[in-house]
Amino acid sequence: MHVFGSNELVEDVLKTDLCVGCGACVNLCPYYKTWRGKTARLFPCDLPRGRCHAYCPKAEVDLDELSRKIWQTTYDGSPLGNHRKIIAARAGEKMLPGAFQAGGTVSALVTVALRNGLIDAVALTDRQGLTPVARLITDWREVVNCAGTKLMAAPTLAAVNEAVGQGRRRLGVVGTACQMTAVAQMRTNPLEEEDFSDPIALAVGLFCNWSLDTRQFQQFLSAKIDLAAIRGMDVPPPPADILVLTTDTGTVEIPLSQIKPIIAQTCFTCPDMTAEFADVSVGMFEGRPGWNTVIVRSDKGAELIEKARGEKYLETEAMPEENIAHLSRAAAEKKARALRMLMRRNLLNNKNGRHAAVRMPTEIVERILKG
Amino acid sequence: MSILIEGKSGTRHLLMGNEAIARGALEAGVHVAAGYPGTPSSEIIESLAKVCGPRNLYVEWSVNEKVAMEVAAAASFAGLRSLCVMKQNGVNVASDFLLHLAGSGTRAGMVIVPCDDPGALSSANEGESRHFARLVEIPLLEPGDFQQAKDMIKWAFALSEQIRNPVMVRSVTRLSHASGNVVFGDLPAVDAEAYFKHDGPALDPLQGVMLSYPVALKHRGQQEKLQQAVSLFEQSPFNTYEGPENPELLVITSSACCLYSTEAIHLLGLEERVGLLKLTTTWPLPPQLMENYLARTDKILVVEEVIRFLENEVKVLAAELAPRIGIKTFFGKKDGLLPTVGELNPDLVAGALARIFKMDYEPVAATYAAQAAEMAAKAPGRDLTFCPGCPHRASFWTIHNVLEMDNRQGFVCGDIGCYSLAMLPSGFSTLKTLHAMGSGAGLASGFGKLKAFGMDQPAVAVSGDSTFFHAVLPALVNAVHQQSDITLIVLDNSGTAMTGFQPHPGRPVDAAGNPAPQIDIASVCEAIGARVRTCDPFDLERTERTLLEMLADTPGVKVLVLKQICALSPEKKAKKMFEMRLDESICLGENCGCNRLCTRIFKCPGLNWDAAAGVARIDEVICAGCGVCASICPAGAISKKEVA
Repeated sequence: MHVFGSNELVEDVLKTDLCVGCGACVNLCPYYKTWRGKTARLFPCDLPRGRCHAYCPKAEVDLDELSRKIWQTTYDGSPLGNHRKIIAARAGEKMLPGAFQAGGTVSALVTVALRNGLIDAVALTDRQGLTPVARLITDWREVVNCAGTKLMAAPTLAAVNEAVGQGRRRLGVVGTACQMTAVAQMRTNPLEEEDFSDPIALAVGLFCNWSLDTRQFQQFLSAKIDLAAIRGMDVPPPPADILVLTTDTGTVEIPLSQIKPIIAQTCFTCPDMTAEFADVSVGMFEGRPGWNTVIVRSDKGAELIEKARGEKYLETEAMPEENIAHLSRAAAEKKARALRMLMRRNLLNNKNGRHAAVRMPTEIVERILKG
Repeated sequence: MSILIEGKSGTRHLLMGNEAIARGALEAGVHVAAGYPGTPSSEIIESLAKVCGPRNLYVEWSVNEKVAMEVAAAASFAGLRSLCVMKQNGVNVASDFLLHLAGSGTRAGMVIVPCDDPGALSSANEGESRHFARLVEIPLLEPGDFQQAKDMIKWAFALSEQIRNPVMVRSVTRLSHASGNVVFGDLPAVDAEAYFKHDGPALDPLQGVMLSYPVALKHRGQQEKLQQAVSLFEQSPFNTYEGPENPELLVITSSACCLYSTEAIHLLGLEERVGLLKLTTTWPLPPQLMENYLARTDKILVVEEVIRFLENEVKVLAAELAPRIGIKTFFGKKDGLLPTVGELNPDLVAGALARIFKMDYEPVAATYAAQAAEMAAKAPGRDLTFCPGCPHRASFWTIHNVLEMDNRQGFVCGDIGCYSLAMLPSGFSTLKTLHAMGSGAGLASGFGKLKAFGMDQPAVAVSGDSTFFHAVLPALVNAVHQQSDITLIVLDNSGTAMTGFQPHPGRPVDAAGNPAPQIDIASVCEAIGARVRTCDPFDLERTERTLLEMLADTPGVKVLVLKQICALSPEKKAKKMFEMRLDESICLGENCGCNRLCTRIFKCPGLNWDAAAGVARIDEVICAGCGVCASICPAGAISKKEVA
């Protein structure tokens, strides 16, 4: 894994629009700030290597190295990544209905982790107005305040860095695939610090196809609707092909074709649909409203699922094979699309000292592209 | 009480050039003086303001130079001698009125004193007022020393009354701000009565209307007045010649260059070979006087600062006189002997003389120059920087950071004042344009209309409180009316700080220190239709939040007033708000940010880097106790305690 400094991060990621605004570089030093979905660096820094670069999910991410460190196995390019099992789940009877979106699995898992002291605090994504903001939560009762998709890229990891800076360990974090990649890099002590200890006790990943550019989305919506009246938003499973906004006075439907132009361009370089470096990844269950698809990846993730089920915060069922096959196909297609985009933008496995966004063995690249 | 009115006639006093000019005006019986602060001119109005009571004088710091000239002209129309003072580019501001005033004529003596700044020691330009005298066709006088600075002001008032038109007396930094001996003359009685007679025959200069109409007729009359001035110039006692009857070279010079030329001739021991004509009546040149001296030699060197003015005038005259005085060889700027930018000095003039006389002359010995350069390299770097405790440092810290966070490559259109320094690292290199007074807001008004062409960058303008009244107001009105999308940040530090805290319309006092109605900047902006917020720039968090919100708000004209008194303001009496403390055990030193955030980036002079100990320290002597560094220290090593 090549780790460079702040200047390389600015040149390779911020200035090339690769930055998704995940917050991984924010709150490590006084210079990186996040505001309305964008990350900015206030002043130059001459350090040759920095955590800002090391954590970034868009700068020199070596998937094989990361996979070896997190999963003790090579990166094989399989559509859904390293995992133990895939199940269906939804919030159990202990969770209050209506306080969460879709199946409520994420809220349930985080609640259980906090209640049982598996984690001391969790970095979630809240909203300020319509803008997603990072929020560190220590009280399980506040988890539901952050429930629901934001659709826009969120600087969630800024809260992780802030908490680590305050000396917290045993942190939970909920985030999208790119954020789980950053979190994985955080856990591998990329700068080889002597007093390092892994601060992340639980990483819950969210399935993600794309996120919207925060500013363009708000501008787009403000032309149609009073932003202050929006209470929630959702993209129902296909074939709906719409974005549904919940407001005080009802719902507003917007065809997805209208918002596709404001998908963050960097998302088209992302090969990961199911947050492959999380302990457990959660997404929707296509065709079965009110349920989630859950990919259990680590021991920790499996234990948490069991605990949540045992305490009746979670209800689980087996996942039909055909749904897994369908999910797998979608994930494989996203991988292949992303690799083609990375190659077109000259960001994959660059040689001769040129920086790459993503690295993986060439035979894996070929395997993914062959489908 | 001031020496300017206590000094008895015939006594000798050490005066700054600007004080000499003020004394000259008092000896001339001036009754109204108006100006706008600007280095190197400000002390003239200040000196007069101090004696306005006993001398029955009305003195004002006007809102800008054009209004100052109008105020002075009104006094002249009503029969009172008046003085109008400004720095060089102030004449640009006033020039529209000046053009018309020269056409309408004046009554009681009216003298305009621009103080130029060759080398732009305290300016954003090295513009020249001399050309305006020729442009609007009024007489130009240039005193060459301190005594002349006083005496010629008095003479100028008399001249103005003789030709019934304003007279320009031009000073420069090295005359205005240097000091020399001046022998005082008499002060006249102080009583005066003002009355504007306007119902006599229309074209009567003392009883009719004051207009430049009918233009051609008045213009011809103005040019006749100028000819009268020329005949007076022929006899002027202020034009002097030193040197042999028939010198090998005639040096023609004026203003501060009289002193440089005298010294240069002496340095080279050329007193017996070079003649020195020190001209004080530089436009229009008196032809008979010039013929007399031009005829004595074939070689002429014209010594003047910045671009050619005197050199060209002399050449034109010499061409006209050629049949009688013969063909001359000229030296000066056209041949590159003297520079056309920056100030002159005795060495540069001596260098020019040495080349003409083919002498070996080294103003500074090569070994000495090498040694000096070596020593200079060892001296610590001293950036131009804001003072410790300056509100501008805090303001630009926030403005810079907000523009970066806003992330649309926004920029700040700068303006004239201490805050112009924000073009440098002291202000985090935040200013991207810098032009005339008020131009920041005007440029922003233009930038703010370019959205239609795909420009998404936020246009921000900054303005000082005095600058706001001087020239920002029209630009702001324009921006509102044209529905431009701009954010104006008024850096209100409660006075015209850069030039010495002269009051302005936003202050509760006038030039004489008397109470005056105070015009509230925020209310004015609101009345125009701007969305206005006010913050204390020392409250970094609130200011940052406010400005971020303003930039993200819907398009339109937004004004943020950042109100905090200048650290050097006499009102503060150097009192610290906070006692600052730095805990060395917490300071991260070179590991802070990527390296010393407070001393490498924030750079308040009150913070020192102790390289040996590897920590920052607070210099208690220099620290002004503003408390801002406690907010920027990421480690929380700096704390503040309110001073009781």
